Amino acid sequence: MATRASWKGSELTAIDTSVPVGKGATSVGRLLRLNWLGGTFAWLWLVIVMVPIYWIVITSVKTQSNYFVTNSMLPPKDPTFANYQLVVQSGIVHYFLNSVVVSVGAVVPAVAISFMAAYAIVRGAGNRWLRTMNSMFLLGLAIPLQAVIIPVYLIIIRLHLYDTLLAIILPSIAFAIPLSVLVLSNFIRDVPRELFESMRMDGATEWGTLWRLTFPLTRPALVTVTIYNALGIWNGFLLPLVLTQSPDKRTIPLALVGFQGQFNVNVPAIAAAVTLTTLPIILLYAIGRRQLLSGLTAGFSR
Amino acid sequence: MTTLAPPAVRAQEPKTAGRGRSGAVVWMALPALLMFIAFAIIPLLGVLGLSFTTWDGIGAIHFTGLTSWKAELEDPELPHSLWVTFEIMIVSWLVQTPISILIGVFLAAFKRYRGLLAVLYFVPLLLSSVAISITYKALLDPNFGLGTGLGIDLLNQDWLGSTKLALWVLVFVVSWQYVPFHSLIYQGAVRQIPTSLFEAAQIDGAGRMRQFFSITLPTIRYTIITSSTLMVVGSLTFFDLIYVLTAGGPGDSTRALALEMYRKGFMADLMGPASVIAVILVLVGLLLAQLLRRLGGRGDESQLEGV
Amino acid sequence: MINSQISRRNLLGLTAGAAAAASLAACGSSGPKSTTGGSGGGSASYWSLSGPPGQPYRQAAVDRFDSANPSTKITANFFANDDYKQKIKTAIGAGQAPTMIWGWGGGGLKAYVDAGQVVDLTDWFGQNAAVKEKLLPSSFGAATVGGKIYAMPVETVQPIVLFYNKKVFEQVGVQPPQSWGDMMALVPKFKAKNIAPFSLAGQSRWTNMMWLEFLLDRTAGSDVFNNVFAGKQGSWSDPAVLDMLTKIQDLVKAGGFEKGFGSVVADQNADQALLYTGKAAMMVHGTWSYGIQKANGGTFVSSGSLGWMNFPPVEGGKGDPTNTVGNPGQYLSISSKATSAQQDIAKKFFSTTLVDDQEKAGWVKSGGVPVLANSDSLYAGDDAQFLKDISAIASKAKVFAQSWDQALSPTAADTLLDNIAKLFQLQVSPQQWVDNMNGVIGK
Repeated sequence: MATRASWKGSELTAIDTSVPVGKGATSVGRLLRLNWLGGTFAWLWLVIVMVPIYWIVITSVKTQSNYFVTNSMLPPKDPTFANYQLVVQSGIVHYFLNSVVVSVGAVVPAVAISFMAAYAIVRGAGNRWLRTMNSMFLLGLAIPLQAVIIPVYLIIIRLHLYDTLLAIILPSIAFAIPLSVLVLSNFIRDVPRELFESMRMDGATEWGTLWRLTFPLTRPALVTVTIYNALGIWNGFLLPLVLTQSPDKRTIPLALVGFQGQFNVNVPAIAAAVTLTTLPIILLYAIGRRQLLSGLTAGFSR
Repeated sequence: MTTLAPPAVRAQEPKTAGRGRSGAVVWMALPALLMFIAFAIIPLLGVLGLSFTTWDGIGAIHFTGLTSWKAELEDPELPHSLWVTFEIMIVSWLVQTPISILIGVFLAAFKRYRGLLAVLYFVPLLLSSVAISITYKALLDPNFGLGTGLGIDLLNQDWLGSTKLALWVLVFVVSWQYVPFHSLIYQGAVRQIPTSLFEAAQIDGAGRMRQFFSITLPTIRYTIITSSTLMVVGSLTFFDLIYVLTAGGPGDSTRALALEMYRKGFMADLMGPASVIAVILVLVGLLLAQLLRRLGGRGDESQLEGV
Repeated sequence: MINSQISRRNLLGLTAGAAAAASLAACGSSGPKSTTGGSGGGSASYWSLSGPPGQPYRQAAVDRFDSANPSTKITANFFANDDYKQKIKTAIGAGQAPTMIWGWGGGGLKAYVDAGQVVDLTDWFGQNAAVKEKLLPSSFGAATVGGKIYAMPVETVQPIVLFYNKKVFEQVGVQPPQSWGDMMALVPKFKAKNIAPFSLAGQSRWTNMMWLEFLLDRTAGSDVFNNVFAGKQGSWSDPAVLDMLTKIQDLVKAGGFEKGFGSVVADQNADQALLYTGKAAMMVHGTWSYGIQKANGGTFVSSGSLGWMNFPPVEGGKGDPTNTVGNPGQYLSISSKATSAQQDIAKKFFSTTLVDDQEKAGWVKSGGVPVLANSDSLYAGDDAQFLKDISAIASKAKVFAQSWDQALSPTAADTLLDNIAKLFQLQVSPQQWVDNMNGVIGK
């Protein structure tokens, strides 16, 4: 089955799907062993990534009074955990949970309905309605949030949703749709027609085809889109600011408010807050990464 | 992490879409459509309407036809912000894409620390723009920041105060946050490239550079397009980070479209012209989307023909 | 065969579960959907700024009022400075303003007045003369629009002063400046010792503005700006303005400010840190800086190394040297869209809690000079001297001018800050500055 591959340009003719990827990675590793350019960049970039992170962590154990006096890049001689205490007392755990609820509550429905819409747009490409819908979604690619915020605010008020987490969730879903549909439909378009035909011949409905065939094949794009949207919503600032007001509805970006006085910013406390709220996600990612990876690189075999 | 390389044969656009089939799928798009209409289309129509008014945001709304349009289109700040927006978009793409691809390719091969690197790279993405701005403003402070801390005077430039440097600082910070994300995407894509191709090339005596340009790049073409789509579209409405880091300054050197819109609407109390800018943003987004579709949605050549 | 790891049922379940969880969490504890609307006559709402030093005292006032008036309730919400500005505009624009609107008076207040969003309090003050007398007269300037009072002065007066580091002056062996000439003469002396003569947070723009405010007032008196404020066309073309702008650029060119001042940000107190770590000799800043330097500067303030004075006069200038600029107070207005019951609650709050002794004591404790008169007796302890001096400056000032960016309309203020930044970056000439600013008079 494995024929010799012609590797020049667009004449690639055969794939060897019998070689599992894991093994392939090591072989590729041998071939790319001398990839010093990429290697240098990777390690250099790691340093660049870590320097500000390091700064945040060491600043979180400084006090406001020694913050400017000590060297900004060195840890303090007598670190203190008072900032962490202050941050926890201010309710950071609750704000963290709010952020989780909002992010999950927005991203999961957004990706799900975008996936369904992308599928419909690709599969029913001849349909006039679907083509119109597609163009309409594209209109929303560059929604200027600061401009639509006032109309959105009014709608939320009319729906009696002001100052609830749902007020943040619903518009977030809507704004995530265009990009998700764009990326997902591009991907679904690449699924071979024969596969759809064979599903249809097996008597599968469109709904069945959607979940049993298309879903596994587009999983990589789904993951990319999910992560991208989740990050945007997790760090989203304007919607929570305008659409909620009570302290108990605050999400993490707003939680830093308590440390930003009128003329004075408690930088060490903010550093502590940032560290505290980022740590759980990092742990989650570190643990869950394996699962994510093993499921996704299974590829598909005939 | 993931692969974005397409499977075997590219689908052809169905020439005969069965009435029944397309009818069945239309309803699948309905939930997205309804959400979108309710929270995106209607507000966008509201914004369009506002562009034909003069309103200071707190008083009564006066319908004034094309006054705001004329005022805004004549404002020299508008082409300037458009230019700044594109500058940021293009420069950050030029900086982020090569670095991400290089790192991605490296990570694909380098098994040993891959897990650790992937986790560490992920951290900047989790920080909100407030956190990032506070961090960088502190690090870039010419008197107490990174340069002084490390004793490297070269790092003590007027980073945020110089019109020439501020834009680069912005691009740097954005790249700092997102290169790791894109490199993880590319890593996944490169890992999916069958090694037989590389082996064959090796046998033919192709050097690493040739392999990279002839095998790697073409195969991840669609990944590049996806990643670029995310970058380009994201930078169009880029607001949070610029606002907290430079607020469009110094002067107006980093005043991208979204900032100009915010400034007009919420700081100068000119909601009419601000809405005009909003409409322009949406139209530019639409244009870009069409461009990206052309790049990503067509093309009939098969990269890897099936067995 | 296609490997499928997740059945659609699982995914649907996940989606439904997520949505259900979200809606439960979202709708669960919110209570009345909007405390800003007209629901429930027994409660009023109050939005203001968060964080130290003010938030605890604002909350304390609300708590005091609520315990003294158990049949009503004031709900307070606090937001960060810039966030507040955005949020209050959005709320007012959507007709959802809180009962009591906190603000800086001046041009912002005028915008509210023009839009009919705040209640005219002139008659109310007339009927409650006792309340009016408890407040410093100079604080009413920024609360008055078109001869009518639309806000109640609250909290503290915050003039701008020239701070200086006494230790640094001793080190270099010079005396604090008595005039503009002295200030310019001190520049090379400090520069020679690698100390920045003046600390400035150039990125924050309003810090630069303080310099212009003082210089203009000292050079030309208050008339020029009053004309601008009144909307007289071409008011900026007064020759004193060009003179003042040139002086500023001379100072910048002479290296009067620290290296890279355009990147230094006020909120993170980097400019103040320069002063108390001895890297800079002097700083023009608001009196609130005292409290910050006290908290963050270690023993700097307590050891008596911090000096302060009113901005020196300019030789040959027409301005009265006792004049000062800054925030003559903070202001609370009542939303005209609030129900009459809510307005009554607000008025009661104004006339009782906001002028009581605990209010006065609280703000003194925060390190500020209250807007309530006769606070001198409360100045005791370490901060006594500072508070007494500031109080003297505030009360002796013939004119206590409001910060320009608060006095002007937001449209003009925006252009102002823009041009000021460019001026300090030497990107715009004094004449261009004048022309640009003349273009937005009255807007």
